[in-house]
Amino acid sequence: MASTSKDVPAVVIQDNPPDDLEPGACHDSILNPTDSFEEFASEMSSSLQERNISLATKSSTISEIQSEIGENSAPMKPTKSSDDLQTKDESISASTSNSNLTEQNGDDTDTEKDDYLQSPELVNKEKHVFILSSAGKPIYSRYGNEDKLAGLCGVIQALVSVVEEQNQDILRSISTNDCKAVFLVKGPLILVAVSKSDESETQLVLQLTYAFNQIVSVLTLTQLNRIFEQRRNYDLRRLLSGAERLIDHLLIFMEKDPAFLLGAVRCLPLPEKARENITNAIQTTCNKIRDLVFAIMLAGNQLITLVRMKKYTLHPSDIHLLFNLVRSSESFKTAESWTPICLPKFDSTGFLHGHVSYISEDCQACLLLLTVQRDAFFPLSQAKHTIADKLRRSNCLVAINDALNRNEELPTTNPLKHIGIPEIRHFMYKCKSTAQLFTSDPISLDKLQDYRLRHKEGGDIMEKKVEKLSDIDYVRNYRKFCSSIHCTSTPAKLIFRSNSCDTILAWVTNGFELYVTFDPLMEKDQAIKAVDRLLKWIKKEEQRIFIMHAPTF
Amino acid sequence: MSSRKKALLKVIILGDSGVGKTSLMNQFVNKKFSNQYKATIGADFLTKEVIVDDRIVTMQIWDTAGQERFQSLGVAFYRGADCCVLVFDVTAPNTFKSLESWRDEFLIQASPRDPDNFPFVILGNKIDLDNRAVSAKRAQQWCQSKNDIPYFETSAKEAVNVELAFQTIARNALAQETEAELYNEFPDQIKLNANDNGRNRDGDNCAC
Repeated sequence: MASTSKDVPAVVIQDNPPDDLEPGACHDSILNPTDSFEEFASEMSSSLQERNISLATKSSTISEIQSEIGENSAPMKPTKSSDDLQTKDESISASTSNSNLTEQNGDDTDTEKDDYLQSPELVNKEKHVFILSSAGKPIYSRYGNEDKLAGLCGVIQALVSVVEEQNQDILRSISTNDCKAVFLVKGPLILVAVSKSDESETQLVLQLTYAFNQIVSVLTLTQLNRIFEQRRNYDLRRLLSGAERLIDHLLIFMEKDPAFLLGAVRCLPLPEKARENITNAIQTTCNKIRDLVFAIMLAGNQLITLVRMKKYTLHPSDIHLLFNLVRSSESFKTAESWTPICLPKFDSTGFLHGHVSYISEDCQACLLLLTVQRDAFFPLSQAKHTIADKLRRSNCLVAINDALNRNEELPTTNPLKHIGIPEIRHFMYKCKSTAQLFTSDPISLDKLQDYRLRHKEGGDIMEKKVEKLSDIDYVRNYRKFCSSIHCTSTPAKLIFRSNSCDTILAWVTNGFELYVTFDPLMEKDQAIKAVDRLLKWIKKEEQRIFIMHAPTF
Repeated sequence: MSSRKKALLKVIILGDSGVGKTSLMNQFVNKKFSNQYKATIGADFLTKEVIVDDRIVTMQIWDTAGQERFQSLGVAFYRGADCCVLVFDVTAPNTFKSLESWRDEFLIQASPRDPDNFPFVILGNKIDLDNRAVSAKRAQQWCQSKNDIPYFETSAKEAVNVELAFQTIARNALAQETEAELYNEFPDQIKLNANDNGRNRDGDNCAC
């Protein structure tokens, strides 16, 4: 049974561990603080008009930077978005007809045309994602061949537009017994998730938003809008070919990694000194390169360090897209790459230019140097080599490898052993002000690979009970706690649920979010004591597990 | 420009109720015909792959309801169409007269970029029946007066000209696409200097 904070004795809300800042918090953050559900809250509450307005592209951060640097004298004008296209269409008079839309005709021709929808490629999947243009042309389908799904896309487009045109309203979701279809109309695109998982509608909307942002990251919002402004019948697959892979990976990534659930970034746990050295190496090498906006080092979907131009921070969702880009692109491993990258939260109107490369053959850390200067490859390539040399000399590569290989000697490799509370099976902690996340059993690189392979052939609903839960399974369990804690109508501060399988405690304060899984039938006060010790441990180790500084060039 | 690229065409079929829109589509997609009349409600969606000049083209066919009470679905359906097929019944002169308003309606609702050259195709259906009332000549004249819209006389029942008509539809729609592309190469990369911003799509912005 779930019980909310009211039943819990006041003892719970103890003083935060000493230092009056919650574990992981620091005064300056490299990341924009997030509230896990901000994205869908804004998505869900918007009306048709608001939605059109909100997509109008804002002024460009990139051109702001450029003009500050003094490179391009004329600042970019805010670009017109295609949204007036939508308003133009709105002038249709509502009709009273009972608009029965979809397939009728029960004769045999229908069963034939539906055959593909029943094929093994499509049936029994846990979650489908379809992306189409507002004209109803297929752009992406997670499974199957989107060409053959053109008919389905027609139906989706018709459903969306009937609600929009006849009722001046937005179609958000359709629920059946065991299945949810969630719709997101964003600019010239329609995104749909059809899911049999236990994810909430808001969580699905978030995933669709990410998929949209992934497309923006490849094209920029300006470009995307302009294309459809000019040609509404455009087949966007032509511009996105090669990028489907990014969406494929992103969808899997979002199902596995709690970072998405909480809108936070996972950091690679490192000794304080090592992280400092890495940051210094980047700072000292790059502080003369004036167009450099961000230098980001990451490994295994975890952030190692981020050095930034003063005034600018990154949103976790942009970092997730970078993680995804790096993880989905094998080619970065073999060569230094120069690639345009749009970070939708940072500036959806234009590209940053990224020098992307792995530090060395014996270290799987990847360095991204993002600039507004489009022909800076050679200076950045030079910088990268200097940084790599410095890191090697200061033994930082070893430190990174130790962390990645989960060296047993590090306290952060197996935190539960070090904390010494046997009843705790798993925990996940997010520091809100820095948007950083730590879990007791971070998904290792190998495991992510496994899941990727498994998912590639599968994605099917699985009945099989797993013997030993992994990080991913625990996180799955936290989903519904996460959505009830963030439920906008009746938000809870604390949820405690105990049953014969396990005991779960979810707790959100102004400073952090914490989810803990205990042994079954754990008593409340016992759990609270354990949580208290857990927070103390996190506080003690915060310098390792979080990035506590916000260095600039 | 590679010809191997996949293409997807959105094709709208319009015309008065009972002229045989659904039958034509069924004949084309499923090679089947039924004498039984069942009104389409709202719209039906079918897809068919065809090969045009070695290129695989998926036709996404939107078979709309001819009955007036469904007309309000218009805008949504017409938006972003690549080709519009107007169908009339050669035995029913009033269905021929309606073509004009179907065409106008489509152009208003879909507001294509270049209405004068938007690919239409006219099909005079049911030529297998004896009681013909609209002559081929009359139909052709009308088509010529509308910027030479291609005209086909078809029988969904006996599969006369159906294949040919849809081939032409696909070909004409594709021609539009490639034509437009010549003027409108999208650059892979936006340049962030101000003069590349907005309006200019003269194709000069890919000079690297």
